[in-house]
Amino acid sequence: MFLINCPYCGERDQSEFSAGGEAHIVRPKQPTELSDNQWAEFLFMRKNIKGVQFERWNHAHGCRKWFNMARDTSNDKIHAVYKMGEKPPIK
Amino acid sequence: MLNFNTPIIDTKEYSEIKISEIEPILKINLRGKNRDFITKIGKELSIIAPVDPNTSSSNEKLNLLWLSPDEWFLYSNDKIDIKDANFLEDKLFSEISKVKLGSVTNVSDHWIMINLKGTKTFELLSAGCPFNFNNFKNTKGAVTQTIINHIDVIIHNKNVNNLNLFVRRSFSAHLWSWMNDSARFV
Repeated sequence: MFLINCPYCGERDQSEFSAGGEAHIVRPKQPTELSDNQWAEFLFMRKNIKGVQFERWNHAHGCRKWFNMARDTSNDKIHAVYKMGEKPPIK
Repeated sequence: MLNFNTPIIDTKEYSEIKISEIEPILKINLRGKNRDFITKIGKELSIIAPVDPNTSSSNEKLNLLWLSPDEWFLYSNDKIDIKDANFLEDKLFSEISKVKLGSVTNVSDHWIMINLKGTKTFELLSAGCPFNFNNFKNTKGAVTQTIINHIDVIIHNKNVNNLNLFVRRSFSAHLWSWMNDSARFV
């Protein structure tokens, strides 16, 4: 259980949010030109690292807006929350 | 055409809490992004659409709640006749939806309004809600969307220890049972 600072609504409990997986995965411009392995790489393969990970989250039980978050997966510390389309404020 | 069906139609009083369902109430969901949309709402409803998160604005007949940066929830202060509801919906539809400024959806039969009054109102809600009501309960007109006992709700703080809670119709009987059960213990 931890608190997430929604960029629209403010600080809320984690139970109001749903996680949407890794952020900043760019869809290939020409999917038809990809091999099955390349397509599977884009579709299924995720980093799942131990440390700071960039993720998509949705405030499902609040404003229903999507946003990005930089979260340390080892201790759930949230380093940054930023809106969709914005660049990560940390590296 | 709306039926204004409700599964509750009841009022319950406990030592310091009164819970009552208030229906039929006009409820309209408004969605739009541009400045013209907000201007048009102000013109048609005589209410300035709140742009600050978790706030609302009201006049003597209507309340307009902020739900998200491009979504608002309009509801009437008093019980409304079905003809008046249709008139306002048609007016907004022709001024906003038809000219593609935004969307207007009548959700009167989708949401159920429950009024909670009394000094232990927030104690009751806190029994099943992760939201921190400390600032909320002292801010007249504050709005929040959260979960109570895993059920999505919209809460509008009308006045001191007097709030309106909106719950989806299909969940309303369950939430009603939970509130009445919990009210006995707070």
